[in-house]
Amino acid sequence: MNPAILVGDCQRALELAKKHGASQVEVFGQTSRAVTSSVEKNDLQISKSQQETRIGIRALVGNQLGFASTNDLTKIEQAAADAVTLAKASPGDPSNILPSAVDCPPVDGVYDPAADRFGTEEAVTQAIRFLEVAEALDPRLIIGNGEFSAEVRERVVLNSHGLEASERGSLFTYFVLATARDGERVSNFDFQFDASRDVASIDVEPITRRACEHALGSLGAEKGESFNGPILLSPSAVQQIFAPLAFQLSARNALRGMSRWKDAIGQSVGAEAVTMVDDGRLPGGVATAAFDREGIPHRRLTLIEGGVLRTFLHNAYTANAYGTASTGHASGSAGGLPGIGPTNLMILPGEVSKDDLISEIGQGLLVSRFSGNSDPVSGDFSGVAKAAHLIKDGKVVRPVTGTLIAGNVFEVLKTLSGVSIETERAFNAVLPYLRLEGISVTAE
Amino acid sequence: MQKLLEGIVAGSTDWIELRYQSRSSRRIVARNGQLEESSSNLLAGLGVRSLVDGVFGFASTTDLSEEGIRRAVAAAQAAAKTSAGAKKKRIKGLADAKLAVGTFPVSTDDPLDNHPLEEKLDLVMRLDERVRGGGEDIVSSMVAYSELQDEKIIVTSDGASAHVFDSKPDLMVLAVAGKNGDQTMGYDSLGITGGWSDLFALVSGDEVADRAIRLAVDQLSAPHAAGGTSVVVLHPSLVGILCHEAIGHTVEADIVLGGAVTSDKIGKVVGSELVTLCDSGATEFAPHAVGILPVDDEGVLTQRTVLIENGVLRSFLHNRETAAHYDVSPTGNARAYVYSDDPLIRMRNTYIEPGDTSLEELLGGVKDGYYLRGLGMSGQADSNAEFMFGVQEARRVVDGKVGEMVRGATISGNAFDVLKSVDAVGADFAWDHSAGACGKGQAAKVDAGGPHLRCTLTIGGRQA
Repeated sequence: MNPAILVGDCQRALELAKKHGASQVEVFGQTSRAVTSSVEKNDLQISKSQQETRIGIRALVGNQLGFASTNDLTKIEQAAADAVTLAKASPGDPSNILPSAVDCPPVDGVYDPAADRFGTEEAVTQAIRFLEVAEALDPRLIIGNGEFSAEVRERVVLNSHGLEASERGSLFTYFVLATARDGERVSNFDFQFDASRDVASIDVEPITRRACEHALGSLGAEKGESFNGPILLSPSAVQQIFAPLAFQLSARNALRGMSRWKDAIGQSVGAEAVTMVDDGRLPGGVATAAFDREGIPHRRLTLIEGGVLRTFLHNAYTANAYGTASTGHASGSAGGLPGIGPTNLMILPGEVSKDDLISEIGQGLLVSRFSGNSDPVSGDFSGVAKAAHLIKDGKVVRPVTGTLIAGNVFEVLKTLSGVSIETERAFNAVLPYLRLEGISVTAE
Repeated sequence: MQKLLEGIVAGSTDWIELRYQSRSSRRIVARNGQLEESSSNLLAGLGVRSLVDGVFGFASTTDLSEEGIRRAVAAAQAAAKTSAGAKKKRIKGLADAKLAVGTFPVSTDDPLDNHPLEEKLDLVMRLDERVRGGGEDIVSSMVAYSELQDEKIIVTSDGASAHVFDSKPDLMVLAVAGKNGDQTMGYDSLGITGGWSDLFALVSGDEVADRAIRLAVDQLSAPHAAGGTSVVVLHPSLVGILCHEAIGHTVEADIVLGGAVTSDKIGKVVGSELVTLCDSGATEFAPHAVGILPVDDEGVLTQRTVLIENGVLRSFLHNRETAAHYDVSPTGNARAYVYSDDPLIRMRNTYIEPGDTSLEELLGGVKDGYYLRGLGMSGQADSNAEFMFGVQEARRVVDGKVGEMVRGATISGNAFDVLKSVDAVGADFAWDHSAGACGKGQAAKVDAGGPHLRCTLTIGGRQA
């Protein structure tokens, strides 16, 4: 779809909502054209092509809020009327004010015109690469699942204060799930993900290789050892276990009294080695875009600096409630109201290599993947360490199975003893290996 | 629309399936005394699946003109053709099935649209206030009401032509309690297939809110669970979770073909002879299960599928492709959440059939163990039936008496070992009736349940 057409539809929705009685209106429009090819059980599975246009209308009557969306462009007027009807029936909230118009500089590298010519045939070629790489490595490997997707998306935000932003982006995402089977012995599966914003940077081989090596490496795993001590988490395990941090960093959760850090700005919440940054303009980032769900420009923001909490993530609503400015972290699609979420979230790398972190461990566990609970409120995590390896006297000695790990995210954030220099992409995060201390490790 | 779709499939030389869907949904969310969201969404579109040279292709579109539909058909056929060269295993054919023809309405006397927006808003605001008034330790509240109403037209070139309606409301309540820097969360939910009054037929909104409050507050003073192997009595909700998450996924035929632990177990003993486990498109033993599905998204009439009969594995869950592979009849488990999803093998309502033991007798057999209810914040299970779930509510049982709550309990192990350890099955029955959905790349509204039962499993905890 031509972005000018989408802008036109959004403008029409804005005028219609005003006509029905809205005092402030925001319209978020998006079009998406995607092709996907998936593999399953060492074979191509299905290829798909999808197209959708959707418009979401946020209407305010005074400070009463209503929202309606539609993907049927013949029903824009109905959606505009619905949004206003819902607003009129709702109790008001003084923080319901839409953002003012603001200049938004474009960001480079989010759109590759070659993506427009990327069809199902090209997606199939990439999906076949998963299988070729695994087949060349070892006959015991099974690519249980894999998917390659290419998407071109247009986003438009307009509001009745004159804010107007639009952008076209391309995104290629790919993941692979590998298992190794040797007779009766079946490894844990390993999952790897990567992404690219342009056609030239697409490379499915490194993640396929890594997933396969992890699967092979965990074949023959036996019962581990129980102890209380250090573990080294892979970036993917860090992403899973430390997921509660994004919950604590949301200004919405602080406002609701649900973030334990609600009064902790300027205070130490982690070890000095921990610096956490969110950067919506990170070159090549999965979440890189010029502006957020409300049209506010993205920027680089330090959230935790040397262990000290610096700021929360804000959208317009929480910024109004706190009397501050939005940090550009309104998240979501045209199908719902803006939420709050990180863009490209990073724990900055340390100065020590992953191998050096291992070499200092007497008895410990290397954890590639975590399967379990990490409670966003209490921070308690407990679950099974998957594709895990026992560390003895500074060396990775053997794969172990059925090993439970448990601790508390907020405690280990303060006591962690190492941040690796190596980082990897874990969905929208870029993370190092982390060495945690005093973890309860139980071999079943 | 149905006539138009029938005309298009009639002109196709290859096998083709067209699914039109129109969904209207509503969501109302209140938090801490304020209305956070009142929204309505309209979603309409068409999904096309074609089978060319033994390979599926899929396309979806929001352009519902005849020209737009024909473009999507061509895109699906092109997607199939581009894969055909490299695909190793071609689909031999689709199994014959009882294909649905006709109209399939929702069974309710009280459709959701009979009730005005104000009534739903009032419920949500009132329950939010109830949570906030739930005691001095309550620090935060959230109440969400959602409903979705679907109209689908499913037409295939080999004879399905079904007009299917669905209606699924749900309610979720969250309470957060805090004391001395410690915070705990309690939640409860309610979900069904049916209308407004059906939602509250068994449990009232107030009861849902009160349970969320109690779970949050009781955890504050609860000690952490101690780890170890234990005899437990599982509430129907957790029996359902075990059936669905740890057993059900391992008998989905696509997962079986991917190398699940069940692949060579048909006809073999996989559980205690007290266990008969089914997955059904209907709602046996109790009404209004969330996963009611008269017709699946391949246009197949659904059935009650006995997966495990007196401990012996009898069947997998099939779509038309896997049924042909195994030379059995499709079970009606192909489901797509929205028009832009291609149908996958998904469960419907998964349960263990009731036995003959009373709850008192079940608990009476526990000297030192736990009574476990509900799924905690998350859980995971592998295709080898290894699972690990957080438990929503865990209470100590000493000499048959249910006592204090413990916090942070998890259960883990191999689901088939747990089934083998079942030594008594309750005579009662309940669906989990929870809000939310099962995820397998796309969502599916499912239910699960059963009677209370007694078994042995591994409790994970944390030393305080």
